[in-house]
Amino acid sequence: MLSADEVAKLVSEVSERVITRVGSRSLAETLDETLWWEQERLRGQDPTDEETLADKQFYADVHRQMQHATPLEQRRLLVQIVDRYTHEIAGNFSPTVYKFAAKVAPPMLSALLTGLSPRRLFGREAIPRLDQHVIIEGETANLETLRERGTLIVTPTHSSNLDSLLIGFAVHELGLPPLTYGAGLSLFRNPIVGKFMHNLGAYTVDRRKRDPLYKRTLKAFTAVSLEFGQDNLFFPGGSRSRSGAIERGLKKGLLGCSVSAYRNNLMRGKPNPDIYVVPCTISYPLVLEASTLIEDWLAEVGKSRYIIVDDEFSRWERWLDFLRGIFALDLKIHIRFGQALDPFGNPVDAQGNSLDPKGRQISARGYLQVNGEVVEDPARDAEYTRELEQRILTEFSRQNVIHPTHVLAFACFELLRRAQPGVDLYRLLSSIGSGRSEQSLALPEVEEEIEALLEQLEQRSAAGQIRLSSVITEAITNDDVAVLLRAALRSFGTYHPKPVVERRGVRLHVCDAKLLFYYRNRLDGYGLRDAPALASFASPGGARHV
Amino acid sequence: MSDEQTAQVSVLGAGNWGTTVAHLIGQNGFRVKLWARKPELANEINQLRRNSRYISGLEGVHLSHNIEATSSLAEAVRGVPLMFIVIPSQAFRSVCEQLGELVDPSQLAVHATKGLELGSHKRMTQIMLEETCLRRIGVLSGPNIAREMIEGKPAGTVVASRFPRVIELARDHLKSKQLRVYGNTDVIGVELGGTLKNIIAIAAGMATQMQLGENAKSLLITRGLSEIARLSVALGADPMTFSGLAGIGDLMVTCASPISRNHRVGAALARGMSLTEAIDSLGMVAEGVKASQIAFELTCELNIRSPLMHGVYRVVHEGLDPRAALSELMNAAVQDDIDPSLVRAATGSAPGTGSVSRGPHG
Repeated sequence: MLSADEVAKLVSEVSERVITRVGSRSLAETLDETLWWEQERLRGQDPTDEETLADKQFYADVHRQMQHATPLEQRRLLVQIVDRYTHEIAGNFSPTVYKFAAKVAPPMLSALLTGLSPRRLFGREAIPRLDQHVIIEGETANLETLRERGTLIVTPTHSSNLDSLLIGFAVHELGLPPLTYGAGLSLFRNPIVGKFMHNLGAYTVDRRKRDPLYKRTLKAFTAVSLEFGQDNLFFPGGSRSRSGAIERGLKKGLLGCSVSAYRNNLMRGKPNPDIYVVPCTISYPLVLEASTLIEDWLAEVGKSRYIIVDDEFSRWERWLDFLRGIFALDLKIHIRFGQALDPFGNPVDAQGNSLDPKGRQISARGYLQVNGEVVEDPARDAEYTRELEQRILTEFSRQNVIHPTHVLAFACFELLRRAQPGVDLYRLLSSIGSGRSEQSLALPEVEEEIEALLEQLEQRSAAGQIRLSSVITEAITNDDVAVLLRAALRSFGTYHPKPVVERRGVRLHVCDAKLLFYYRNRLDGYGLRDAPALASFASPGGARHV
Repeated sequence: MSDEQTAQVSVLGAGNWGTTVAHLIGQNGFRVKLWARKPELANEINQLRRNSRYISGLEGVHLSHNIEATSSLAEAVRGVPLMFIVIPSQAFRSVCEQLGELVDPSQLAVHATKGLELGSHKRMTQIMLEETCLRRIGVLSGPNIAREMIEGKPAGTVVASRFPRVIELARDHLKSKQLRVYGNTDVIGVELGGTLKNIIAIAAGMATQMQLGENAKSLLITRGLSEIARLSVALGADPMTFSGLAGIGDLMVTCASPISRNHRVGAALARGMSLTEAIDSLGMVAEGVKASQIAFELTCELNIRSPLMHGVYRVVHEGLDPRAALSELMNAAVQDDIDPSLVRAATGSAPGTGSVSRGPHG
């Protein structure tokens, strides 16, 4: 745990690092750039907002002083800006709050989540417990040892703003101290959880700030906090998956902090220099913000909103409905930890030793050495980060836990897609549920498709390429599709305003095509049933065509 | 560079090209270890300064005195910062399996093997990554006829790696007044260029034997390059690589030179020999024979039009008469001169696999 002194050191180290890097560039150019981006941003803000006013005043002053500034004065202005950024990012990242967080936040979280249950009216015994609905599984046994030997970076998939809360809960359940992570301003301002974001070890990320200097400061903050031995939480996909698919590409800027922190630790002779990256999947049978996210994905290519402020996550009634659904139907959210990796993407063993592809112990620092010395080489490290990215993505794909809702959505979508070959995705989606016959499917046809899908899923699961939730495993073992179908239909009927799929007699009706597509996408990119990858942007041309 | 220094570089594989690479490095004044699987060959190189099995007919040329041949892989590999791996493609994995026990992460490696693994269709760098802890790796490829290099004639070559340090260190050892070493970051393109050109070389051998003339040879080379590029881009290569030494450069020399092994196999087939007879008459590996099978499988799987490579496959592996193959080619439907998939790739809408991300540090 960091002392108040150490936090101050962390903040000053961040500022120093950012400013030294600017050195080679023209100071005036950097200042101009910051002024342009910040003033541009402030133009779009509510002019009566206190913070906006203060920012405007600050940059007006900078602008005025810049006119006739000597290089020395320019440097001073830059220091002011970076310090301002750093303090804003650090926010309430104070040791007292942090210590408090370790003790209080997880129970608070549990109370918050369970307290919202409608069953609280039935007395204490009946309060559903969060731990009964969140399954923490996978390679959790070594995390404690790894944390002692080095610094952890937990890198989960990202579907919902609930993710960081659930990881906070999981980390507490595993007996580990809270993780440091960057949370968007919108989370801090959220009426439900905003109050205790800081308590979860969060620092502030303001995604509206597009000034490159701000981004550099943010990255330096992460890197320095890692070097100070703070275990971190990164969402390496950057933002919540809009399509519902698991990540097929990651943001390498933040991820690159793992190798740079390791390198700096080695170069400075730090006692526990190792950095361990722990990929992890969070798999929901239903996703709180599904409707907003898929709408956003379907919005014209490239025009989707990066920041969504006003979604289900900020609305009490949606939380209530969501939790009511989870508790009432006894649904399980799976948090599954994967193979821990070194910053080069090599697996590590229980003691934190890096392993080569054949499981032999290797000395990973060699990857950074030239003639026996650890040296800096940004191009080399970028390449290692690219390889780390691939390993995390593979792990995501393997640790993805499939729920009945995904299976049913995939099967229905496949049948509808095949019925209209060559049709554009948008036309296909708009043709479903618009009163035409395509929206309804014969039950036996769906069951047959599910059976075929399950057969493939069973093979993939046996080969360790994907994970199946218990309901699905049971359906496979007992050769009983009906159980799975029932579970999926119940889930689909419970939380979303319209049931995603509904049974009417011997037919299934798709009532919400977009959500059907969203839940189907969790199985996208596996090549199941010869279905094309629809949610990935990787292949040009074909991405949005069926 | 004095004789007392221990070698800082090694070459694994003492065949025709491996011996040549070691010789070039030795001539630049670097001590170099050369691993030969057979102790007799290592002895011959150390004592007589020659490699009669793989480099013959060069009377008066002695191999560099800086070469220390050894038949112990461990001795060749341990503690050496840089190694060149020059092993035939179908033996590549088994050598890498042994290497896995010997190497450590601080070492750099460049392979100079032109071929893909049968069955898995894997590139040599993929095999290195699967079998060893080596990460800073690359590939050496280009229009380099070993005999001309040994004779000291000028040439250019390409080292491709995602790691600048690999290119730098390999270049430091290879470059000389005789050899220009160019860098490239497109490992996939350079590996595939070097591999797939061997198929076209077989066709060129047939064309030469059948006396089809220079126009036909040019047609063959350019259409061949187009097929190579099309398949490679689909596998993640950068189309621009094929305008370089490892692309058109390598293809031109293999098709023009009658001493190239693949060329000789093609000529033998056109003379009416069977594949076995053709290979026997050569006494060495002709990578194009296996490459044609792999390319056939890959293009079918990816649904890529490759009439020329398919023609070679059918002549080599299905016993089709080269004259029949020629007439089929000449009668096939004519497409655009520059394939649309290449135009797309060249103008920036390339598939994600081929694009180079700038990474966190730019």
